[in-house]
Amino acid sequence: MNELVTAEAVSRSFPLDHIQVRALDEASLRVCCGEFLAIAGPSGSGKTTLLNLIGCIDKPTSGRILLDGEDTTKLTPARTTALRREKIGFVFQTFNLIPVFTAIENVEFPLLVQGVSGSERRRKAAAALESVGLSSRARHRPDLLSGGERQRVAVARAIVHHPALVLADEPTANLDTQNATQLIDLMRELNRNLGLTFIFSTHDQRLLEHTPRIVRLCDGRVVSDLHEAAAAGTATWLEGDRHEQVSAARVS
Amino acid sequence: MSKFLLLAFRNVFRNRRRTLMTLLMVGGGVAGLLLVGGFFAFMTDGLRESTIRNGLGHIQIFTAEHFRRDEVHVLDTGIDNWRHVAATVASAQHVRGVAPRIEFYGMVSNGQKSSVYMGSAVDPDAERSLGFSANLIAGHDLTAKPGAEVQALIGSGLAKSMNVKVGDGLTLLAVTSDGALNGIDVEIAGIVQTGVADLDARYLRIPLTAAQRLLQSDRVTNLVVGLDATSNTDRVYDELIPRLNGLPQQMELKRWIDLALFYRQVRTLFVTIFLFLGTIVFFMVVMSSVNTLLMAMFERTREIGTMLAMGTPHSWIVGLFMTEAALLGLLGAAVGIVGGSLAGALLNFLNLHLPPPPGLTSEMPFRVLHMPWLMAAASLLVIISLALASILPAIRASRIQITEALAHV
Repeated sequence: MNELVTAEAVSRSFPLDHIQVRALDEASLRVCCGEFLAIAGPSGSGKTTLLNLIGCIDKPTSGRILLDGEDTTKLTPARTTALRREKIGFVFQTFNLIPVFTAIENVEFPLLVQGVSGSERRRKAAAALESVGLSSRARHRPDLLSGGERQRVAVARAIVHHPALVLADEPTANLDTQNATQLIDLMRELNRNLGLTFIFSTHDQRLLEHTPRIVRLCDGRVVSDLHEAAAAGTATWLEGDRHEQVSAARVS
Repeated sequence: MSKFLLLAFRNVFRNRRRTLMTLLMVGGGVAGLLLVGGFFAFMTDGLRESTIRNGLGHIQIFTAEHFRRDEVHVLDTGIDNWRHVAATVASAQHVRGVAPRIEFYGMVSNGQKSSVYMGSAVDPDAERSLGFSANLIAGHDLTAKPGAEVQALIGSGLAKSMNVKVGDGLTLLAVTSDGALNGIDVEIAGIVQTGVADLDARYLRIPLTAAQRLLQSDRVTNLVVGLDATSNTDRVYDELIPRLNGLPQQMELKRWIDLALFYRQVRTLFVTIFLFLGTIVFFMVVMSSVNTLLMAMFERTREIGTMLAMGTPHSWIVGLFMTEAALLGLLGAAVGIVGGSLAGALLNFLNLHLPPPPGLTSEMPFRVLHMPWLMAAASLLVIISLALASILPAIRASRIQITEALAHV
């Protein structure tokens, strides 16, 4: 499979008072097209920072990130904006829908800023909403939707323009267990059916049970990269490129 | 409506109470400008028309000599063959009539007391045909009956100082065009009030024929031209200049605005006051609106961060905020136009009067003119100003750090 994301020894430091806090410490990662990948780790482990860097909304202090072959650390601001607009879809922890827009208008938004015509926008947005099972709620504003519905609208918004990559930062953090499981299942289904690449972050262990690849972060470092074995999918995992077998118990 | 405009429109009404207050502020400013501007326009328009109707006319014709030197003898720079000149002028389009005038001065006496007068000799019929009317407070206007007693109108101040009333006789003394002293007896036909106290104390008007007899001259000082509408002044002025070029005496034409010094001073005063008030109102409106926009931007920090994260261009965000500001201005202007028009109609309905200003003797009506051009100008000013004032906050919003904006609570 083609490599979509390549993070090479990426570090990110933030100034805090008079010291530099290292949120990400030489993290490396390769993600291929069509993968469904979870970045796991406790709070403060660097999950959001890594997603921000992959999503080109932040720049690494050192190292480099290639997205679809383009070195994102060397792009101009305008090209970076265009790259995000064309190739990336975002799902946020707090949904971040535009409150004055209806569900379908929110889904239309990425196409609106891409300059897509009105009829084309409406057709694609309706299809995206249908794919997340919310056609009947298309005319409702976010404040009339449940948390789970809002996040599904956010997912529809993230995939409406068929991006190469969908990034979801703690998408289930504000959802109950049932809605959280349904959302992850929905994203997995979209990944399988549409071939979209998903990277999401979570610290909820229960959501990782059906995730084929889990990258664990701790204190800004990648401490494990576990692949579900293609055939088994239950207890056999392969770690990173070395393909060492590790027990399912280690993962959970 | 495009989604962009729809988003801007809905954003304007996201916080309805705050938007309502801002609209009232902007609308109040626009309404204030319309009321002040409408009142000032009524004052200046009224002053203009009354100045013209009170005898200034739309155009006055003098000999060019009149402006080159002072008269050695009375009327020695006057118009010779004035009937021919008047006929030439009267045939032009938009000219309602031509009235000859003689301006002179001298002494007036009732046998016991004397005073200086500023005389104006007129053709009463020509004056009436042009609608020039003296503001009589007693008696009647001049008549031009041949052979009858010479009639005179005098100012209220002069009547008071001379202690005379309608029907009393006066003797007018003046220096003739030959330099001799001459006099005629007149009967007071009416007492007038010009509205200017200083002028009322010296004002005297007699028929043209009587003045020519008093001054021993057939000349007139000038010809006053009345038009069908003030707006035709420049057109007629331009037409008359070539018509009068071939005359033996070189003529010079003056438009009413060239001669109405008091009107110009008043208008300049009103324009200055209006600009001063307008500037204050303008800044209040802009500042309050910018404050609203800044608050809206602060509240929508995470939303802006989300838009930017999704690849929304900076210019799109700037355009959105500028459109919201312009919409705020448009709606505020609409509120102001409706409010200002209603308030103006109410004030006009109440038929209010202002006390006489210093130097004037009569009450002034308080009216507000309906001024479509001022409505359009005030609306455009508010819309463009708010849009421009939103540029800096909008640019700041568009350059926000995405990661910080997404973490904004």
